[in-house]
Amino acid sequence: MSQKEILLVEDNPDDVELTRIAFAEAKVANSLAVVNDGAQALDYLFARGRYADRDPDDLPSIVLLDLNLPKVDGREVLQAIRAHEKTRGLPVVVLTTSTEPFDVEASYALGVNSYIRKPVDFEQFVWAVKQVGLYWLVLNHPRES
Amino acid sequence: MSTVPNPSETAAGDLVRLAMASSARGMAILDRDGRWLEVNPAIERMLGRSAAQLAGEAVQACVARDAPALAAGIGTLVAGNARALRMAVVFAHADGREVPATIDIAPMQAGDGSVAWLSVQVTEDAADALAQRLAATEAALASMERLQASFAHGVSHDLRAPLRAIDSFSSLLAEHVGDGLDETARDYLARIRGASARMAGLIDSLLELSRAMRASLRSAPVDLGLLVDWAHAELADADPEAARDARIDVQPGLQALGDERLLRQLLNRLLGNAWKFSRGGPVRIEVDGEQDAGRLVLRVRDHGIGFDVRYADKLFEPFQRLHGPDQGGGDGIGLAIVRCIAERHGGRAWARSEPGEGSTFFVELPAVPGDGQQA
Repeated sequence: MSQKEILLVEDNPDDVELTRIAFAEAKVANSLAVVNDGAQALDYLFARGRYADRDPDDLPSIVLLDLNLPKVDGREVLQAIRAHEKTRGLPVVVLTTSTEPFDVEASYALGVNSYIRKPVDFEQFVWAVKQVGLYWLVLNHPRES
Repeated sequence: MSTVPNPSETAAGDLVRLAMASSARGMAILDRDGRWLEVNPAIERMLGRSAAQLAGEAVQACVARDAPALAAGIGTLVAGNARALRMAVVFAHADGREVPATIDIAPMQAGDGSVAWLSVQVTEDAADALAQRLAATEAALASMERLQASFAHGVSHDLRAPLRAIDSFSSLLAEHVGDGLDETARDYLARIRGASARMAGLIDSLLELSRAMRASLRSAPVDLGLLVDWAHAELADADPEAARDARIDVQPGLQALGDERLLRQLLNRLLGNAWKFSRGGPVRIEVDGEQDAGRLVLRVRDHGIGFDVRYADKLFEPFQRLHGPDQGGGDGIGLAIVRCIAERHGGRAWARSEPGEGSTFFVELPAVPGDGQQA
């Protein structure tokens, strides 16, 4: 299993806590980096602002992206990730509460790798996060950087 | 001419102004040179300019063409050579639009019998006014649709997220306290989780209704038998016990002209209800249709508990339930979705029943042209 970080972009503290718990229950060992809005997510990925001392080549193994975010929303984050050479191949999974067809459509049009609706039921939520971890961190073979 | 008083500046002036303001027709008073003295809101709307902006400007300066003819007509009235003037004019709206209208002008005499002012009535040409009202309605509708879409988006995201927290932390709390919880505490936590699951289901149903209202319609011949089979498979997956004895018979070759995704939703809801209310006996559902004059009347008949026909009209209203949760009553949105989809297809939905004898739901839909007709 790749031991690189997982970047979670999520503004709801309850969902951050639940995702943490779900990864722990799923025995995903990768550490979870959490940012609370789209602007911070881009600062993190491009090693600037408060993340200026990060190594810009040290990209997370996967980005879990909520869509409704303060400042820069999830779609814009996705757009920026796909627009830059360095981050173009980064696996991005939209992990959101919305199932509006418009959101699904827009996310795929912008090049998301996967779109997952967070279930309301806790056991189903843990199951979904476990599947994401299993697929993207174990099964999937990432691009060599 | 400045010595001639403005007639609306008299004691009765306020009343005159009120009468003018209340009129949907354009009303105005001109001085004897044809300059606006008083205009009502209808004139302001037609010209896209305020009374203050118009004051002192000649009426013939506000038309897109035929200004000399209008000026000449006014001259004839002021000279006392005519008692009324009616002509077709095209006003120039401030936004560049042309506003075709009919203008009626009559002289108003001062005490000495001379023409001191002119009274004006303007009627917008009906077709043009109608087109404008249509455009305004369409714009309002579009903005309402945008609002509804962003509302649905907000509901979808912001109302569901707290439910996940309620459900998850109830579950985690039970796990965390473990044996420290007595029977009552466990019951309370189970009720919290049950309620959040019901509300999540309700939110999903409302979103489905909202999408059925907004979705663009892509019409094509739809194989209804196939949709029934799909719905049957899903119901059987969710309720394997009842599925063993369940039978759904479909008339072969049943099809309608409509949007496949919406019709699938409609059949899912109707068959889901028929299945649910068959509890107590084996599920027996018949689906067939009758075609007449380009319309198909689809029939979904069950042999379940039925409902009291006195409340048949309430069935299709959102949040109206005829059965409690112990009788299999749902969130009260399902049949509202059915009706909405029928109406989106230019049809309607209704039902018949006898308590204990089962129910039959009817949905009128467009038929596939040439289908089932004799050659």
